[in-house]
Amino acid sequence: MKRVIWLFAVAAACAIAPLSAGAQDKVIRVGILMPISGPASYFGVMGKEGIELALEQLKGGVNGYRLQVQYEDSACSPLQATNTVKRVLEQLKPHIVIGEECSDASLAIAPILDQAKVPMLNAGSVTMKLTESGYKYVFRIFPNAEQQSLPLAKVAYETLKARTAVILHEKTNAGNDNADGFEKPFVAMGGKVLAKIDFGRDVNDFTAIATRIASLGKVDVLPTFALEGQTVRLSQALAQAKIVKGGGGSAVQMGSIWLPYGFDQKAGQASEGYVRIVQFDPTENRKIVQDFVKAFKAKYGADKVPTHINAHAYDAILLVAESVRRGATDTESMRDRLSKMKDVEVTTGRITFDGKGQNSDLSVVHFVETQKDLSWKALNWR
Amino acid sequence: MADFLALAVQQTINGVYLGCLYVMVALGLTLIYGVLNQINFAHADFVTVGAFAAFFAATRFATKALGLADTTGYLLSIVVAFGVGAILGLIINAAVFAPLRERGDELRPLIATIGVSVLLENGQLALFGPIPYQFDSPFARETIRIGRIFFTQQSVVVVLVAATSVAALYAFLRLTFLGKALRAVSQDRETAGLMGINPGLLIALTIVISSALAGMAGALLGPVLVLTPFAGATVVVKAFAIVIIGGFGNLEGTILAGILVGVVEAFTVQYLGSGIIDLVVFSLLLVMLAIKPTGLIAEKKEENV
Repeated sequence: MKRVIWLFAVAAACAIAPLSAGAQDKVIRVGILMPISGPASYFGVMGKEGIELALEQLKGGVNGYRLQVQYEDSACSPLQATNTVKRVLEQLKPHIVIGEECSDASLAIAPILDQAKVPMLNAGSVTMKLTESGYKYVFRIFPNAEQQSLPLAKVAYETLKARTAVILHEKTNAGNDNADGFEKPFVAMGGKVLAKIDFGRDVNDFTAIATRIASLGKVDVLPTFALEGQTVRLSQALAQAKIVKGGGGSAVQMGSIWLPYGFDQKAGQASEGYVRIVQFDPTENRKIVQDFVKAFKAKYGADKVPTHINAHAYDAILLVAESVRRGATDTESMRDRLSKMKDVEVTTGRITFDGKGQNSDLSVVHFVETQKDLSWKALNWR
Repeated sequence: MADFLALAVQQTINGVYLGCLYVMVALGLTLIYGVLNQINFAHADFVTVGAFAAFFAATRFATKALGLADTTGYLLSIVVAFGVGAILGLIINAAVFAPLRERGDELRPLIATIGVSVLLENGQLALFGPIPYQFDSPFARETIRIGRIFFTQQSVVVVLVAATSVAALYAFLRLTFLGKALRAVSQDRETAGLMGINPGLLIALTIVISSALAGMAGALLGPVLVLTPFAGATVVVKAFAIVIIGGFGNLEGTILAGILVGVVEAFTVQYLGSGIIDLVVFSLLLVMLAIKPTGLIAEKKEENV
C-alpha cells in the first residue's frame, strides 16, 4: 500500500510540475544596461535606485507576469556596451532592454537590438541619431538634443534678449548634437555664436577656457552641455573670471536636462543665475511626482531628493509594466504596445511616442533659475 | 597689443598652475622609474586615495571634529594626504612589490602594479561609491586680481606646495646620505649593495616617497577633479607623457616638461581650441621621441671604464 501511495505522489508531482513551471514562465525579462563602473557610474547607481523602487511597487506583477530584471555594466562605453548587449541577448533572451545612459554607448547597442528585434527603451541619451536612423525597435522617453536645445535658444534670444553666445560642450555625440541644436536656431533668429568650445571628459581645470571666454568680449549667454562634475568646475571657473552672474558678471549660463537635482549645491554661489530646462522637478505638484518623491524618501532616506536619473529609470519600468498591462507578452507585442503609447503619465511628464520612437510630449518641460540661496525658481518660459 | 600681452600673461599663469599640478603627479612616477626602472600603473590610484584622504580630513575631521577654520583644515588635509600616501606605499610595497622583487622577476612587479590599480579602484568604489564628491578648497573662493590678471589663492597654494616639494626632494636626493644612497641604487643596484647599501630598504623608501607625493598631488587636485574612485586616471596619462617628454627618471626634466605641457595646454585652449589639447600634447610627445628620445634633459649615468 505504501508503495502505491508513493507512486501516486510521484505521479502527482510529475503532473503538477509542468503547471508550476508554466506559472514561473510568466515572466517579462528586462535587460538593463547602465554604467556601473567608470566616471559615469553615478548614472547606474541612481538608475538602479529608481528601478528597484518601481519593482518594489510592482512586486505583485502585472497581468500575472513578473518583471525579471538583469543589470549589466556597460560602463558608458560603446565597446563594453556592444559586448554586454550581445551577452544579454544570448543569455537572458530579454523581452526589452532598458539603456544605455550615454549617447555613444546607446548608439552602439541600438543597431544590435534593432537587428535582434528586441525593443530598446532609452531614458538618458540625447543624440539625434538614436531615433533618426530608422530603427524600428528603439524608443526614447528622454528629450532629444533638438527638443532640449531649441527651447534654450528661443528663451536666450526672445526672453533673455541675448545676442551673443559662447557654446560649451563635451566632445561626444550628445554634446555635439546639443551644441548644434542650440547654434542653428540661435543664429537663424539673429544671434551670434562667438565661439563653440568643446572639451574631452578628462579635462579638469577650466581656468584657461574661462580666460579665453573673457577675451571674447561681451557674452550674453553660455549654453553648457556636459556632465555634472565638469559643469560644476566650469561654472566655478566662469565665476572666478567674473563672466557669469554667480561671479558678479553679466552672462547667463544655461543648461539642459543633463544636470541632476543637487548641481546647484555642488557648484555653490557660482551657480546663481544659472538657467536650465528640467523635465523632472521634485517640487512639481502632480500627484505622481509627489507620490514618487515620498516613496523614494521612504526607501532611501528622508534627506535624499530624487534626481531626473532616478525618475527616468523609474519611469522606464512603469512603461514596461504599462505595456504588459496592455497585453505585451513577447518582443513584438512589447514593441507594438510601446509604439501605441499615447499620453501615458509618468513622473517625468507624459509619454507619446512618435513614428520614430521619440517621446514627443514636452508638456512638463520647463525652465528654472538658480536663486541666491541655491534653490530653484520655476520660470514660466516656453 | 596691451590686450594680447594681458592675455598672454593670464594664460601663462593658468599654464604654470596647471603645470604644477602635473608636476606633482609626475614626480612620483619619474622617481620610481629612475630608481626601479619600472612603470607604476597604480600611480593614478595613489593620487585618488590622496584626494579622498584630503577630502575626508578637510571636510569631516579638521573642520567638524577639530573645529578648525576651513583654510587651516585644507592645509592640514594636504599633510594628511601625504601621510596616507606614504603609509599606503609602505603597505603595498611590503605586501606586493617586495615579495615579487625578491623572486628576482622584473616583470611580475610591473604586472602587479596593474593588479594594485584594479584593487584600489574597486576598493574605493566599494567604500565611497561612484557618485562624484564635491571637494572645494576654501582658497579657490578667493580671487586675487592685479589689473586684468586674476588667479585664485588656490593657484598660489598649488605653486608653493609644488615648489616646496620639488626643493625638499632635490635637497633630500643631493644633500642627505639616504638620498645619495638612493641615487647609487638607481645607477647600479648590485654595486650599491656591495658598498653596504640595502637596496631593498631604499627601494621601499622610493615607493613610500613616490606614493606620499602622489597622495599630496591628490590633495591639490581634489578641488579640481571630479572626485570619483577613477579620478586619478584623468591626469595620469598626461603625467606619463610629461615623464617621457622630460626624460624618463629625470627630475629636472619632469619639472620642465610639466610646466611646458601646462603652458602649451593653456595657449592651445586660447588659440586652437580645447578640443585638441590631447592632440597637441601627444604630438609634442611624438616629436620629442623622434628628435630627442632621451627627453628634454637626459639622465646622466656615469660609466666605469
